[in-house]
Amino acid sequence: MAVRLDYVLKETGSNLVRNLTLTLASLLTVAIALAFVAVSFLIGTGINQSFLGLRSDVQMFVYMNPGATPDQIDSVNKSLESNPQVESVKFLDKEKTYAEFKRLFADQPDFVESINPEELPQSFRVKPTSTDADVVSAVGTEFENMTGVYRVEYAEEYARQVQKSLSTLNSWVRLFGVALIFVSVLLIFNTIRTAVFARRREIEVMRLVGASNWFIRLPFMTEGMVQGLLGALAAAGLTWGFDALWKRNFVNQVSFELLNQIKWTGGDLWKAVIMILVVGAVTGAVGSGIAVGRYLRV
Amino acid sequence: MKFVEHTGQETVIKLENVSKIYKGEHMALRDATVEIEKGEFVFLVGPSGSGKSTFLRLLNREETAEKGKIYVAGKDIAALPGYKVPYLRRNIGSVFQDFKLLPNKTVAENVAFALEAIGRPKSVIREAVPQILELVGLGRKEGSMPNELSGGEQQRVSIARAFVNRPLILLADEPTGNLDPATSVGIMKLLDRINRTGTTVVMATHDRGIVDTMRRRVIELDRGSVVRDQARGVYE
Repeated sequence: MAVRLDYVLKETGSNLVRNLTLTLASLLTVAIALAFVAVSFLIGTGINQSFLGLRSDVQMFVYMNPGATPDQIDSVNKSLESNPQVESVKFLDKEKTYAEFKRLFADQPDFVESINPEELPQSFRVKPTSTDADVVSAVGTEFENMTGVYRVEYAEEYARQVQKSLSTLNSWVRLFGVALIFVSVLLIFNTIRTAVFARRREIEVMRLVGASNWFIRLPFMTEGMVQGLLGALAAAGLTWGFDALWKRNFVNQVSFELLNQIKWTGGDLWKAVIMILVVGAVTGAVGSGIAVGRYLRV
Repeated sequence: MKFVEHTGQETVIKLENVSKIYKGEHMALRDATVEIEKGEFVFLVGPSGSGKSTFLRLLNREETAEKGKIYVAGKDIAALPGYKVPYLRRNIGSVFQDFKLLPNKTVAENVAFALEAIGRPKSVIREAVPQILELVGLGRKEGSMPNELSGGEQQRVSIARAFVNRPLILLADEPTGNLDPATSVGIMKLLDRINRTGTTVVMATHDRGIVDTMRRRVIELDRGSVVRDQARGVYE
């Protein structure tokens, strides 16, 4: 037996409007839960991408003594450039170092004032050919004992620390995301169960007059799907807002050392939105199918 | 799919040694054997809890019997797979003491709902609904909401809904239970009229006056057993 489409649409529409408060309440809860799911997905993705960023950037810093002579600097520079393990070298003289320093401490002008550019160490930014930590430190030790070298620092160490804390953060975010998907499924299911309960008389009458189980189920399922989708759309809006806020406040802002590493692309945003739309629609439809099933048992 | 009658005889309802046991001990129906022919009007009488409602609920498979066989239109209904039960119910209209109307639908919508629910096309619905409302005497109330109607009128709507699909059997569980005597007479006249179209009517009732006036077949139940089955009977 064919279920008439216009009947299903009419029932779905009138039921959504009739239970407006209930519909709105469930929409809101679903929207918030799904927005959290999308946000945790974005943050998780951002954390993963920040790993990649750090890895490609593995650097070594060779700091010279503040009083190092131009000769000493020159000889370190030469041996760095001739070293086969070194891919590129960049020298930061006093001026550049001071500029960088000013940028880093832009919010502490007093501190910047108190520093004499002459006292700042000049340094080489070295990018080794290999990212292997052992190779990098082997290169580093070669230069540690050269005259005029104050000390060698490895970005890798810093990067590892950051990576470690980010990966802990990442697994928490992921766990949180999975828990939230679970929670939103339960929320959708529960609100639909309430809606179905409110209409058990209607279901009873349908059964009495001999409506088939699918005929009874279908309007509830489309209703659940529409609710799930609407909730997910609202969640998409919230996610969009979060994306904009994050980009404005954290990304590439020097004052947030860890958070400014966490970025994602527009494509990731779309992925997150599509994901919550699918989760919303599917759990809405399947959830109501199951919720109605309770009243269809003979 | 059509629910086919293939007995060739006139028997539409047949119970053979049927017992219904609730929660393992209470026997709602005890070894009942009853045969009802097409076009009969049958009163089920007996005190509360004697098994009248169970009798009716077994017929449209709201309940299933623990023992015995039930045939409706020649078919063993216990053998019907679940997905065919709706088709059984399309042949059985049901009317209740509390009407079971949908409060947010108009009179016409309540009746149309019964046809929509079994997938009848719009053209059929548009024709059948005013016709049946005319038959039950509510031709002018099609746009009213159930709460704007009197009890008698609400019961007429529920009868219209049960009958609009022209079922083989009409089951009525205390249809006058909530109505005053004068209104009840009107409802009984309507059921009688429906019965005369060839529809078998089985009605559970407490209403002595109605049973004694109509003088139809009476089946009396007592603690689940059929204690009397009398053609043109009285309440007691």
